[in-house]
Amino acid sequence: MTFVLTTELERSANRALPAPLSEAMTSILEHLREGCFQRSLCLIVSVTSVASGLEVGYEHYKGSYSNPVMYTPILLSGSLAVAGLLGAFSGVAARTALRLISIVTLADGIIGFCFHVRGVARKPGGWSIPVTNIVMGPPLFAPLLFGTSAYLGLMASYLRREEDLNRVGDKLGEIVEAGSSDWRTNLRYGRFQKHLSFVTVLWAFFSGFEAMYSHYKTNFRYKAQWTPVLLTPVLIAAGVGAIKSRRIANTVLPAVSALALADGAVGFYYHARGIARRPGGMRKPLYNTLYGPPIFAPLLFAACGFLGLMASLLRREKR
Amino acid sequence: MTHRLGPMQTLPSPMRKFADHDVVDYCIVGVGSAGGVLVQRLARAGFRVVGLEAGPFWDTEKDWVSDEKGSHELYWNDLRITGGTHPLALGANNSGKGVGGGSVHWAAFAPRFHPSDFRVYTEDGVGADWPMSYWDLKPYYELLEREIPVAGPAWFPWGDPHGHPYGPHPLGGVGDVLVRGCTKLGIRSVAGGPVAILSGSHGDRPHCIYRGFCLQGCKVGAKASTLITHVPDAITHGAEVRAHSMASRISLREDGRVEGVLYLDREGKEHFQRARAVIVSGYAIETPRLLLNSACPGHRHGLANSSGTLGKYLMAQAGNVVAGRFEELIRLYKAPPAHALSEEFYETDPHRGFARGFAVQTVGPLPVAFAKQMTAAMGAWGWGMRRVMMDYNHWATLGVLGEILPWEDNRVELADERDQHGLPVAKVTFNLHDNDKKLIQFGENKVMEIMRAAGAKQVVQESRFAHLVGAVRMGSDPSNSVVDRFGRTHDIPNLFVCDGSILPTQGSANPGLTIQALAARTADYLIKQGDAVFFSNRRDLTEPGIRYDLSPSYTRFKGNPRIA
Repeated sequence: MTFVLTTELERSANRALPAPLSEAMTSILEHLREGCFQRSLCLIVSVTSVASGLEVGYEHYKGSYSNPVMYTPILLSGSLAVAGLLGAFSGVAARTALRLISIVTLADGIIGFCFHVRGVARKPGGWSIPVTNIVMGPPLFAPLLFGTSAYLGLMASYLRREEDLNRVGDKLGEIVEAGSSDWRTNLRYGRFQKHLSFVTVLWAFFSGFEAMYSHYKTNFRYKAQWTPVLLTPVLIAAGVGAIKSRRIANTVLPAVSALALADGAVGFYYHARGIARRPGGMRKPLYNTLYGPPIFAPLLFAACGFLGLMASLLRREKR
Repeated sequence: MTHRLGPMQTLPSPMRKFADHDVVDYCIVGVGSAGGVLVQRLARAGFRVVGLEAGPFWDTEKDWVSDEKGSHELYWNDLRITGGTHPLALGANNSGKGVGGGSVHWAAFAPRFHPSDFRVYTEDGVGADWPMSYWDLKPYYELLEREIPVAGPAWFPWGDPHGHPYGPHPLGGVGDVLVRGCTKLGIRSVAGGPVAILSGSHGDRPHCIYRGFCLQGCKVGAKASTLITHVPDAITHGAEVRAHSMASRISLREDGRVEGVLYLDREGKEHFQRARAVIVSGYAIETPRLLLNSACPGHRHGLANSSGTLGKYLMAQAGNVVAGRFEELIRLYKAPPAHALSEEFYETDPHRGFARGFAVQTVGPLPVAFAKQMTAAMGAWGWGMRRVMMDYNHWATLGVLGEILPWEDNRVELADERDQHGLPVAKVTFNLHDNDKKLIQFGENKVMEIMRAAGAKQVVQESRFAHLVGAVRMGSDPSNSVVDRFGRTHDIPNLFVCDGSILPTQGSANPGLTIQALAARTADYLIKQGDAVFFSNRRDLTEPGIRYDLSPSYTRFKGNPRIA
């Protein structure tokens, strides 16, 4: 019998934790496995889009909002946060408003990516001196990273709600739709491990690349600055492995993802400390956040770890 | 009254005071780039140190103004005589007066010398070899780049490739022009440094705000000068920096060793500071002038001048400025003048028909300086000048920084004239030789080509010179040099020279960082020698080994340093 992470977690929770906690743990895992976590994911979307909205807000502030299009991610992340909040309370809102805004935000991320590519091209020397201009120009993959919470929102809009877990109709529905390999059905019943592993790989690449060139820019002054750069290929390999093998998805992927999550948290602390250590420190919070290390950037890397961790707790797609 | 150094830093108070009759360990004449580092290192190592500075001890908040005309007091404006076929303009960009010296108004370009600069004679048959190699100085470059600290690209591809401790600065309009022009011609360039200006804040020094008054004394405190990087630490550790003290002569004891320094205070009253050893750090004109003025029986042609080379082999760098007019806005004044460069033409290329090379750098003159350049470059005057100046924001300026070789006939001597203290002033003779002229011609054309490639509609150029080094040459042979590889004079065991004047050749790099690195190395040597410098005539030329524990506080930590 192969190692299945959720089963093992459930078993050890039952063994080690007192009854109320172990029950809670079991039901959380069950909700994840069955795809019944729309409310929770909506809340997560709401929180992460506030964070990414703040991030893009001050980054674009540094660029003086020279192009009106730079306002769109601010507006969209605000809307996404509201939609996420609504989605947590209403299934209708989750299926309509959240889905729509998520799609628009994702599209905005891709459009932003094109703008940033053009921004690098517009630097003196353009793409013929890529290293210089990626370092000096607009952050290349940041708009795509901005799409992280939107992508989560899109997924959330297809999930079932927590209270649907034991509904008879849904049970029957799953049996009826059992043969279907439609992606919507897979999402609906929590069978999207490979899908989410792939997303993890993609986002790990984006955020790892961001970490690499922005840390390269300061010549890796702290040794800790190497950690996201070194973790990225490992996380990518684990994600690719998870697409291919169920065993990897249940063992290596959660381990590496947890590392990435922890690394992002440590990075967040370092970035916050960097801001506090600037002249004026916490007495000039706005100014120092603007010009200090990007406070939320490490959390974007942590988000990859979160995605990987979530993937490892899901069921695999039906073939 | 607190003495302020920049908006956040204050001078440690009270400063220790030595009496004239106190015998100090080291008396350092001139607290500039080298002097500041020396005072700090020696004080930290526990020596009793006095720094004599002819100019004032700047309170940056009170004394400095962000104004071109108002900043002329940062320069050495006393009488000097200039001559030769290509007389140097003395004053602004090649001198400094006041604590911090020239580092107060340097553009803060901080490239290292290339390894080849240390063996010019061996490789090209011209100039001179250094009595040390690049690899002796490399650890000091790295240390000073951290102490200053230097912002720049993570990869600097020329010479000995290296990175920088602080990230690069964003480019201004002139940097854009340089990078665009170079890329178009397939010339490599670097952007955002290396420059001794903070791109992120550092301890109690804020980061650069790109307001453009670097050369007028940086009131922000982002640009490094020893006034704010090393002198405060020196004072914390018990050194005295005595401002308004113009050294007039160095006096010798009967046994041929230095006894102390005679100097004039603000009122012109003469004092005598006794010292067990003296280090002269007065830069390329004042150092030889002081040594020549100190001539005495046994040293009839100037102190430590048994070789006859004192004052000779003076060097300036070719600093031709090429200006180009663009249709789009450039805004010369934005960003530090120094923020992009190419050293692609640094090394000797036999195809070019001359030895050594040059660097291409951004320069960003403010309106008054720009107007002066345009007078020379295009004869602009009157209404024509007004027309040019109305377009100030459309002009970009790039500079050639070309290596001029050390020639014996380029020298500092004493003139018949006397200054306000009654001391004979320096007479500076400067001639260009064939190799120099070819190099300047080539460099000028190359930079004009870059300017056109960047899209300039009109390109003009002005010949000028930048920096000033040499005249108290360092070497291993006492018959053709004044000081040894650690700056100790060949003739007098407790007299040292440590500043830009000891450089045997100058490369095409701005000398500031190298001067400070040499000072840190000399300090390590003196500390290692200990009391032997004061009592023994034995000359130990072994490398001292670098000390990492003598850096000013805030610089020992990596990254953003702790304030507290």
